[in-house]
Amino acid sequence: MNDLLTQFASSEVAVEKADMFSSIGIDWKLLVLQTIAFLVLLWFLKKFVYPPLVAMLDKREAQIEESTRAAVEASKRATESQEKVDKLLAQARSEAREIVATAKSEAGAMLTDAEAKSKQQAENIVAQAQDSIAKEVLAAKKALHNETIELVAQATEKVVGKTVNANVDNSVIKAALGDA
Amino acid sequence: MMLQSFAAAGPHISVKAQEIFLVGGISITNSHLLGLLGFIVMVWALLRTKQAVQGKKAHNFLTRLVVWVFEGLYGTVHQIIPEAAWARRVAPLTITIFFFVISQYYMGLLPFVGPITLHDGTPLFRGMVADLNMTFALAIVTIVSAQVYAFRYLGFKGNMGRYFVSPLKDPIMTFVGILELIAELSRLLGLSFRLFGNVLAGEVLLIMIAYLTQFISPLALQPFYLFELFIGGIQAYIFFMLSTVFISLGMEHHGSDEDHAHTPILEHSSSDAPRARLRGEELVS
Repeated sequence: MNDLLTQFASSEVAVEKADMFSSIGIDWKLLVLQTIAFLVLLWFLKKFVYPPLVAMLDKREAQIEESTRAAVEASKRATESQEKVDKLLAQARSEAREIVATAKSEAGAMLTDAEAKSKQQAENIVAQAQDSIAKEVLAAKKALHNETIELVAQATEKVVGKTVNANVDNSVIKAALGDA
Repeated sequence: MMLQSFAAAGPHISVKAQEIFLVGGISITNSHLLGLLGFIVMVWALLRTKQAVQGKKAHNFLTRLVVWVFEGLYGTVHQIIPEAAWARRVAPLTITIFFFVISQYYMGLLPFVGPITLHDGTPLFRGMVADLNMTFALAIVTIVSAQVYAFRYLGFKGNMGRYFVSPLKDPIMTFVGILELIAELSRLLGLSFRLFGNVLAGEVLLIMIAYLTQFISPLALQPFYLFELFIGGIQAYIFFMLSTVFISLGMEHHGSDEDHAHTPILEHSSSDAPRARLRGEELVS
């Protein structure tokens, strides 16, 4: 510690004696040389080291800008696509609604038509049935008439006791009937 | 050369860098020896980073760190000097100052700096930025560069107008101009002595802690080493930031409205001319 104190004391004495700059260690010759050395270092780094680093930073910045631009563009496209999709969906929904409405309408018409046809068919069937029944009734009446005639003939034969031929039979019957 | 490792005598503290030998009448000091080592390490690290950036070699922790720092500093210069063309010109100088100061500061923290001494107790190595010649040289380069950039940007009349204003036109600005001139000198001294003082104080702190703690110094020094690593980064950044700000001050205008009409001079670069003219027009408006 003693050395330290004496050293500081001696430096104070030096300050008093020597000029200000040399007392604090400034040597003009060294100052110039060290300045030149630093400038040489600066020149070397500026010439050979910094350009690739700056180019790398510029390239990175350009890439970031390009990516940002691409992202904005993509976002814009996505918005446009979404708008298109929304538009198409709306159109599709509208068309679907139209199709459903048309289908419902057509189905209704078909149903009405089918009902009308069915009704017509039923009426036809009923008419045919009535016609058929009428014909059958007529046929039955005719058959009954013929059978009655035959029975009368048989009865008459039994009453008369002789065989009558058809002509006689018929004339008798007619006469009987005419009397009746 | 008689070396005396781990000198047993008391702590050796010197404000000045000490001469080790003479070469052609020029004294080579202990700060030069360590400075040369730091210079080699710095250039190697930057060249290695350049090779990694160019894809010639693989990146490692050091190259990534250098690229990260370089990118941060480059961005800072662009923030302080908004005109990209001028920021590009200023950046190499101030970034070099940063790398130089931090590498030389950290070299001064190496364990062999101080204990290895000559026969008379003079340390063989001393931090380059603990040499006032170096910090003064850096400050001179900064202040002279600031003036060179100011002359190129504002022109001769524009830059002189920052310091010399006619007292008949504006007495207050005349006084402010003189103060501005004094401020330039004070910046020179402030830059050099701030860095020198901090580095010297750091070295003295480490020496004293080592001296006082003796055998437990390897343990006791650890927090102080960490502190010095932090201070080294801070000091390098302060020097870088102040250099950039001082240079940017020369790219602003100080003066009356009539002087605003000048246009910055950039004859040698046609690509930058529109920007400079634009700035001139902005100043006019």
